[in-house]
Amino acid sequence: MAWLRAALMVALVVTAVLLELVVMPWFHLPGATPDVVTVTVVALGMVGGPVRGALAGFGAGLLLDLVPPSAGLVGITAVVLVGVGYAAGLLGQEGTRAPLVQVGIAALLSGAAVLGQAVVGTLVGYDRVAWDRVPLILGTQIVYALVLAAFVVPLVTWLWRRVTPSGPRYDLVRP
Amino acid sequence: MRDSRRTRTIVGLLLLFSLTLVVLSLRGGSEPRSGVSGFFAPVENAAAAIVRPVRDFIGSIGSLGSKDQQISDLQQKVDDLQGQLNATEYDRNRAKELNDLLRLAGAGQYKVLPAQVISFGPAQGFARTVTLDAGSRDGVKVDQNVVNGQGLVGRVVSVTATTSTVLLIVDSTSTVGARVEASMEVGYLNGTGDDETLELQLLDPFAPVQVGQRLVSWGVKGGVYAPGIPLGTVTEVRGTPGQLTRVATVKPFVDVTTLDLVGVIVQPPRTDPRDSVLPTPSPSATPSSSASGSASANPSSSASSSASPSPGKS
Repeated sequence: MAWLRAALMVALVVTAVLLELVVMPWFHLPGATPDVVTVTVVALGMVGGPVRGALAGFGAGLLLDLVPPSAGLVGITAVVLVGVGYAAGLLGQEGTRAPLVQVGIAALLSGAAVLGQAVVGTLVGYDRVAWDRVPLILGTQIVYALVLAAFVVPLVTWLWRRVTPSGPRYDLVRP
Repeated sequence: MRDSRRTRTIVGLLLLFSLTLVVLSLRGGSEPRSGVSGFFAPVENAAAAIVRPVRDFIGSIGSLGSKDQQISDLQQKVDDLQGQLNATEYDRNRAKELNDLLRLAGAGQYKVLPAQVISFGPAQGFARTVTLDAGSRDGVKVDQNVVNGQGLVGRVVSVTATTSTVLLIVDSTSTVGARVEASMEVGYLNGTGDDETLELQLLDPFAPVQVGQRLVSWGVKGGVYAPGIPLGTVTEVRGTPGQLTRVATVKPFVDVTTLDLVGVIVQPPRTDPRDSVLPTPSPSATPSSSASGSASANPSSSASSSASPSPGKS
């Protein structure tokens, strides 16, 4: 079943990346682009634990950094999402938090991802970071992430349970 | 956390690897991107192809029965696009029309490849880029200009076989040579990362710039951008004449958040005759007055003998 879970993670991450790049921009929402990827990484961290969260974050971030229309620094989203996935596993472990709290954590971590990207970008000298736009992107992202997480977290939890026969806590022993 | 040491090791390694990539790409290498892009581009293309009918359907629910209207709108858009490329931004102004004709006569038209925007870079990544569904297989090359019916969209920064990535003019690393339409003053138009704002830096700090003036691309010889593509309108001028730098805020003609159908200029004019044949500028602001003014001011530009039936009316 480990393979099945890995496959599910890959499928979810790829789907999230496609949704974020291809579908979300068409809604023409102000500020940030609804961050399906971060919310999905957070959800995976919550069901799979910190390590899987970090791995999912790494893969998703790298994908966002590499696939068209990426043009910036490679790895910058990966750095941020590794941290976000890890934190999601620590803070919002499925079964230890009420679903509503999980959604809140997901929104906060999405905001943290925005900040993280700006901070890491500034630290490494990335010339595109526009701090005057960060407050707008941050605020809108948290709102969008709240809405997204309300759907994504339960969906990912449900899917994860389908491929985890002995309940969600069992796989912590053998990640 | 049963094995938190292992966890920390793994997370630490992932972070280290990511940061290594950041440092490597800071040094200018983008080799990993081409590999992954080539693999992922068809997937993205396919996803867009799946999503588009759904999107169109959802969009059409609100406008049932207006398909004919939509088709004619699109047709209109195509016509407009062609018209824009022949620099109709100039056509209320006879002097500009003359320039246009000279340019067309001297160099022929742009050759445009239509393409569809299939994905947008997320705003939180700060890079303002989009992907087009046309790639090297269709003749798209790096540095080609991308336009739509309103004006300049950006330039191609990377291509795969089936897709190309466009750096939008609003990206903070984008710089376009710009010319103020009325006064022919030149400057550099920089992106700010904001969708609605560009910054114009004029080369001549004494140059007069007024709110409402329009900008076209400068098209310096050997440069990336073709000449005469509409860029935007001046909305604010900061700094007084004579200061070391004068900066004007410019609103781009193109709404980059609603990009859909665009054109890649796969063949710019072979030469740019404009800078050599441009008459002395007539800085009249209103189209009607400068029309008569320039027509009488430049009777001697005989270079356009083949193309001067309409300007020769006076």
